[in-house]
Amino acid sequence: MVTVRDILELVPCEMLSGRSSLDSEVRGGYVSDLLSNVMAQAQPGWIWVTMQGHQNIVAVASLAGLAGVILAGGVRPDPETIEKAEREKVPLLATAWPAFEVAGRLYGCGLRGR
Amino acid sequence: MIRRFVADLHVHTVLSPCAAVEMTPRNIILHAVECGVDIVAITDHNAGDNLPAAIAAAQGLPVTVIPGMEVETREEAHLVVLFEGMRELAAWDKFVRSRLPGRLNDEAKFGPQFVVDAEDELIKVRPDLLLTSLDAGLSEITAKVAALGGIVIASHVDRPAFSLVSQLGFIPPDAGIDAVEVSRHMDPETARRKIPGLGSLEVITSSDAHAIDDFMAGPKTIFYLKAPTLAEIRLALRGMDGRSIAVRAAGDFTR
Repeated sequence: MVTVRDILELVPCEMLSGRSSLDSEVRGGYVSDLLSNVMAQAQPGWIWVTMQGHQNIVAVASLAGLAGVILAGGVRPDPETIEKAEREKVPLLATAWPAFEVAGRLYGCGLRGR
Repeated sequence: MIRRFVADLHVHTVLSPCAAVEMTPRNIILHAVECGVDIVAITDHNAGDNLPAAIAAAQGLPVTVIPGMEVETREEAHLVVLFEGMRELAAWDKFVRSRLPGRLNDEAKFGPQFVVDAEDELIKVRPDLLLTSLDAGLSEITAKVAALGGIVIASHVDRPAFSLVSQLGFIPPDAGIDAVEVSRHMDPETARRKIPGLGSLEVITSSDAHAIDDFMAGPKTIFYLKAPTLAEIRLALRGMDGRSIAVRAAGDFTR
């Protein structure tokens, strides 16, 4: 089983919110910057890798029951995004790694996206 | 007295790299007269250099030009922003230039970006890449436009690319926008049902024309206003003081 805590070990990143969900299970992953597409495709329990920092990512993650969001490529979210994520207990992780590298590392640990 | 005005609040000129070469400000204005369009917002991608020509070309003609721009936010959502006059547009343009990446336009890939005068004469070619996102997020942009007394209309929210809905999944609450625009592919009643997060926002339609045929045949919005000004348009979008709107799919607007 992979947890949010494990991802902190796998990918050099900063946890911006959602520490209370550190031991949540991550059951798969998804990469997309189109939130309409994420809403249609991502499955509950998946971790979502994106470059979008707008606060709507929190609502989408919450709605889809995602395990968390990784902001890749050095993206810093809007300040209201972090506040909202903390309120909704959504783990928000920020990394300097590009999305491709993040996805590759997570895939290598057994996570799948279909 | 409240009168009927046919408006197209989203029109590109030859400054937009993807626009046809016949989209000179003068040609757009002459066709607006021919088609009975009373209000035209010139909205090039992240630039407003062809507004002076459009305003000059409309002198003495029954067409009002609204200064505007179609900006691309950091989220890669397109917004039509409209201003009362050239002073506000100039202040806005300064902000936009400070947030463009400063890369050069590749004419072979994207197309040329022509700045022209009211007689269709070339003034210059804008060298920097305009078809790109600004280093500014949605909320910063809407706040800045509001501070300049402008209006924000989310472009083609029914489209699968570069729309607020495609990029952000739904219209964010408190997004700071004044209305949404749907393309000719969706009517406003359908939009009411299908656009997530629309709430009480007004739905308008515009041609988003990049060619003259699209401008003439494209959808328009009818505004019932006392005068063809941005302040009146804002009242109509809020349904206040007897001002209102009606969406028209396409066709002949001459009376």
